[in-house]
Amino acid sequence: MGASIDISYVFDYFVKLLPAIGITLEIVVLSLLIGSAVGMLVALPRLYRVPVLQRLSQVYVSFFRGTPLLIQLFLIYYGLPELLKMVHADVSRTPVLVFVITAYALHSGAFISEAIRAAVGAVDRGQVEAGYAIGMTGYQAFRRIVLPQAIAVAMPVFGNLVIANLKDTSLAFSLGIMELTGKAQTLPTLSQRFFESYLALALLYFLLSFVLQKLLYRLERRLLRHEAADGRVSRRAKGRRVKDKDAAGRLNLTEEGALP
Amino acid sequence: MKLDPAFIGEAFVKLLSAIPTTLAITFVSVGCGLLLGIVTALARIYRVPVLREISSAYVTFIRGTPMLTHLLIVMFGLPIAIDALSDSLGLSFRSVQVPMIGFAYVAFSLTAGAYMSEVVRSGLLAVNRGQIEAAYAVGMTTWQALRRIVFPQAFAAALPNLSNSVIGMLHGSTLAFTASVVEINAKAQIVASTNWKFFESYIAAALIFWGLTVVIERLTALLEKRVARYDRGGVA
Repeated sequence: MGASIDISYVFDYFVKLLPAIGITLEIVVLSLLIGSAVGMLVALPRLYRVPVLQRLSQVYVSFFRGTPLLIQLFLIYYGLPELLKMVHADVSRTPVLVFVITAYALHSGAFISEAIRAAVGAVDRGQVEAGYAIGMTGYQAFRRIVLPQAIAVAMPVFGNLVIANLKDTSLAFSLGIMELTGKAQTLPTLSQRFFESYLALALLYFLLSFVLQKLLYRLERRLLRHEAADGRVSRRAKGRRVKDKDAAGRLNLTEEGALP
Repeated sequence: MKLDPAFIGEAFVKLLSAIPTTLAITFVSVGCGLLLGIVTALARIYRVPVLREISSAYVTFIRGTPMLTHLLIVMFGLPIAIDALSDSLGLSFRSVQVPMIGFAYVAFSLTAGAYMSEVVRSGLLAVNRGQIEAAYAVGMTTWQALRRIVFPQAFAAALPNLSNSVIGMLHGSTLAFTASVVEINAKAQIVASTNWKFFESYIAAALIFWGLTVVIERLTALLEKRVARYDRGGVA
């Protein structure tokens, strides 16, 4: 290992890491898409209190939130083929990436289902009742009235999950996926400049999560458009005003004179 | 190959010996992280000139990068720094003498510190300003007001986030296997490598983590009842 740090390697590796962004984002996007569907399916029994299924989804969410993602990755990588063998499906030729995406999808599915549950709970009960009053069926009221509002409410939480998912993809290297982290570990094999490589890696992750956060913020604002449609202040702005009002009554140590 | 339920039990027993390492990593990182978090949170709330910018940059950077990169950077960067330092001081101490788990402690403490900083900050900001005013009104000093009035309430407000962070660090401790520390995850790999029953071994590991998580959640719920006692309505 080089005794000193050569900053030029950081830039060099930064550029060489760029192509690996594709596979990282592929994992993020696919696992979140599948995860959203899974999360929706898992949240429904608990929202509508379906007897047995409710219990099952509780266990599912508890398990995937109660065990480390790394363990889940290995569990699915080694376990899924075994389980599928019982139904005589041979998956020994399936690429590893499929298992990785499955694991991430199931993991984020558990968190997304909790986000959906909380968001649907936040939608005013009167909205559904109004939907029924004008003759909508249960499905129509859910899809047209509750869901759009719930998605807007869930957006900040969902945004955090996207960022968390991006950072979690760094674990995929443990199954030999050549995403950003895997790439960063193999690049310096010749030069032995591991530190510089990992520095470039951290920088890249930071930039990615920064950009993603900005994009998500925009999306969030777009989804909350309907709140301002009739000329009133949007919920976000309202929330902010409430928060500011709160903040005025809250602890401000500088003004308290606690700070000289 | 069929699923071997007996081996799950066998692996479970073998994995129990790795629990102390996992818990040590978790609690060292949470403990040091909490100290770091309190310092950085106070620096940001009190708007301490230079410290505040450093704290903000630290929190933003750590929260924007994966925990694994923190470990990798510390693992490969700290030895360079240690060796350079001991060279310049003329010491014979080399970075190889530092046990690998030391790097895991340092890296995970840095990770936890940033998340704890946010936990502490939101907890402190959740305390109503009237509380500290009332404390001054009865003649308390700032330190008394903070220690007796603000901190207990802030702790109650921060407890759910604190518990989530502890669980996050517990789950994050599985990354220590990259620093060749034998915690539960690494042990599961070792246990399975003798007979290739990876699935069974990881089921056992998952069960242990699930159990530990549930225990932390239960303890938090108990503690929450205790610390939130002041916050109920009524007269009795």
